[in-house]
Amino acid sequence: MNAEVCELKELEVAHFEIREVLRCILHTIIFHRALGLIRPKGIDCEHFEITYVQCGDAEVEKKIEEKIDEFINKTEKHPNRKSQICLSFYEIKNKQSTWFSNNKVERLYWEHWYINLHVINPKSHGKSHHNKATTDLGGGALEESTSRHAALESSIREVLFQIIRFVNEKKDHLPSIPIQEGISFPYEITILSSSDSPFGWHTDVLKRMLQTGHPTMIS
Amino acid sequence: MAESSRTEQIITRFYLKALHAILGSRIPHLHGEPSSSSAATHARKRDRWFNLALGDLPPALDRPHHSVMDPMIIDVILSARSAPATAAEVVVERWTAQCESPPISWNHTSDSSSSFLSRRTYKKSVLLLRSLYSFLRLLPAYRVFRMLSSSNQSYNYDLSYRISSFAEPFSRVEERELKLHSFTPVETQFGQLVVSVQYRPTLSDFNIEVSSLLPSMIITDYVGSPAAEPMRVFPSSPYEGGARPMSFSLRGHRTSANPSAHRPHSWTSAPLAHHPMSSSPIPASDATFSPPDVYGNRIPSQRPATHRKGSFSFDEFKLSPPFSPSPTPSPPAHGSSYLQSRLRSETAPVSIPQPLTGKNQVHRSPNLSDPTRSFLPPPSPRSMRMDLSSQNSPLESRSFRKSEGLRIGDIYSNLQLFTAQKSLKDGRDDSGRFSSVLSSGGSPRLGFSRSSSRLSIQDDLDDGDFSYPFAVDDVDTSDSQTRSLDRKEAPESVQASSHKSQDAAVGILVHMLKTAPPLRQDQSYSSRSSRSELNGEIDTSSLFMSRKTSDALEELQSYKEIKDILLSRSGTQLLESVQHRKE
Repeated sequence: MNAEVCELKELEVAHFEIREVLRCILHTIIFHRALGLIRPKGIDCEHFEITYVQCGDAEVEKKIEEKIDEFINKTEKHPNRKSQICLSFYEIKNKQSTWFSNNKVERLYWEHWYINLHVINPKSHGKSHHNKATTDLGGGALEESTSRHAALESSIREVLFQIIRFVNEKKDHLPSIPIQEGISFPYEITILSSSDSPFGWHTDVLKRMLQTGHPTMIS
Repeated sequence: MAESSRTEQIITRFYLKALHAILGSRIPHLHGEPSSSSAATHARKRDRWFNLALGDLPPALDRPHHSVMDPMIIDVILSARSAPATAAEVVVERWTAQCESPPISWNHTSDSSSSFLSRRTYKKSVLLLRSLYSFLRLLPAYRVFRMLSSSNQSYNYDLSYRISSFAEPFSRVEERELKLHSFTPVETQFGQLVVSVQYRPTLSDFNIEVSSLLPSMIITDYVGSPAAEPMRVFPSSPYEGGARPMSFSLRGHRTSANPSAHRPHSWTSAPLAHHPMSSSPIPASDATFSPPDVYGNRIPSQRPATHRKGSFSFDEFKLSPPFSPSPTPSPPAHGSSYLQSRLRSETAPVSIPQPLTGKNQVHRSPNLSDPTRSFLPPPSPRSMRMDLSSQNSPLESRSFRKSEGLRIGDIYSNLQLFTAQKSLKDGRDDSGRFSSVLSSGGSPRLGFSRSSSRLSIQDDLDDGDFSYPFAVDDVDTSDSQTRSLDRKEAPESVQASSHKSQDAAVGILVHMLKTAPPLRQDQSYSSRSSRSELNGEIDTSSLFMSRKTSDALEELQSYKEIKDILLSRSGTQLLESVQHRKE
């Protein structure tokens, strides 16, 4: 089964905005994929005028926070890079171990979401800094950051619309809904390293493809 | 076939869930009180549909009322409070859910594939509802909703809704301002289930802000606009913030259904959530969003816990605690914030628990009774008994409602209102109906608490069915009051034309008023005849010793203003009618 892939629009985020942006996007995706009984929780973003919906599962929230922490740590070490977070949903298939995989349990991925973030440092990226005289720096920077903030907010909204559109359009590839409450499908969040090494994320993707156990890939 | 009924159930439930999701994120103070245990279990089960637990729905809405093949159109309306005219309403969103296109003849397929199809329909509906839920929070109207529900402050705008099976398409101008978003259809046995929304991409044109404390003023041009669009909701401005009356502009609607459907909504919807004294949100019974079935019939047995259908069984009404037991000092003492929240809660004043109960019961009766049932003449002895106890609260409520004039909840409480109406009325309608009153007088011109007048106008204009027992009762008793008020005379003929039962009611009322300690601020009133004692304006207020003199004076002032207005507007008519009666 081919996994559906959704590449979300790239977002330019400042370091302090990463957490909120990721929370917003990850929770939204999971909300649309948590097809068990849930009690939705609307959460307001602090930095943006956006309300996103959480599925209300504490476990999920914890896992997401952990991943966000991990991502923030990574990007702190290597700022000003483009990074990807991949949220994948899979099915567990029990299979006998073969030569390429020692696991008895096999994961069959059926959906991948790629969240593209470009972590920028507003100060170094502010165009006005280069163009304006020193005296103008203060006012120019403020304007710049306000407009950047507004642009980011509208981009986040666009990404959320994108998610909703994707969820609506592609419905056939979902496995059957298990009866369990809350999160119905197992998922994982992977942080793909930055694009400084242009092949970086490619190798991750390749690894995943190998794990899916596509017969065609093996040969 | 079992499968088709299952699919039908899925679709019906889908409509309901979608409605719940939409209203829950658009209409402030929507939810009713926690229902009784049996209803709660039932509600919890219902909540599990589509694996999306949205919480309690006002029971009135919690019924699958929608026929599968009829579209469900929900209009979210933003209206300015200050302008009572309908022109101030703007449809900011129109949600449409319908099954469209000819269904594939799945009836011919085997049961197993049909069951597969219905399961698939269900699964896709789950997904659709998820996206709908998220999407609702991304539209600009959501921020407005959050603003309006955020606090007890009252804003200069209201959000309300209207559900219908058919809606007038937007004008070209409006259409241009709206954006369309359509969710991917879900295939069902009956066709494609499509949910779409037309929305305004920006609401920055509306200057929504906290309104200053409502000044004491009389809305002289309070318009119910039933003449304009009988099928539409009432003008929103005088209404409580939040849920508005639902108008059911359905095909084949029955006019008789609408007035009663309107009325309950107009006064009792969720508003109590903000009542300062309310311990719990509006009782299920009070959240009178009575969704009609397709043909506009109000489903009478919507409030199983507390109401019996089609009857005035006051005893069975368990009114919601929010306002009965809470002791409240004289409202004006609380200041305008109280008034404001009261406005929003559209309930009777809480200071008099017992009468309130009575009042509310009576107040509720129109909701409960059959839409088609004519309430005239009222079941008088019984109703009058209740009415007596309810007199107190109405009078009290009037004293602080006097200048806002925004309460539908004043219907039952407003003797003066009916008095005024009666004064406009020809002698034609002896049964206490207002059929000609407002028609002749145009839209209600009463200064305050005109909700009842508006409602009665609505009724009258629709088909004369007046399911307002209060009004009926009060009309005749206050009939004479009006006359004496306006004319400084006591036209006995008015009383004579009333029904016997109403005479008895009047007598009781007179007795009650006579025995009440007087609070005379104006000597001219006291010099009137016994008939004039029925004048609810001044004397009835004396029933409440807890009232302060200043309150009474304020009241008097407002009554005078109202009187002036009435006189100026309908002086001629009154003269004619009184003369006619005397003949």
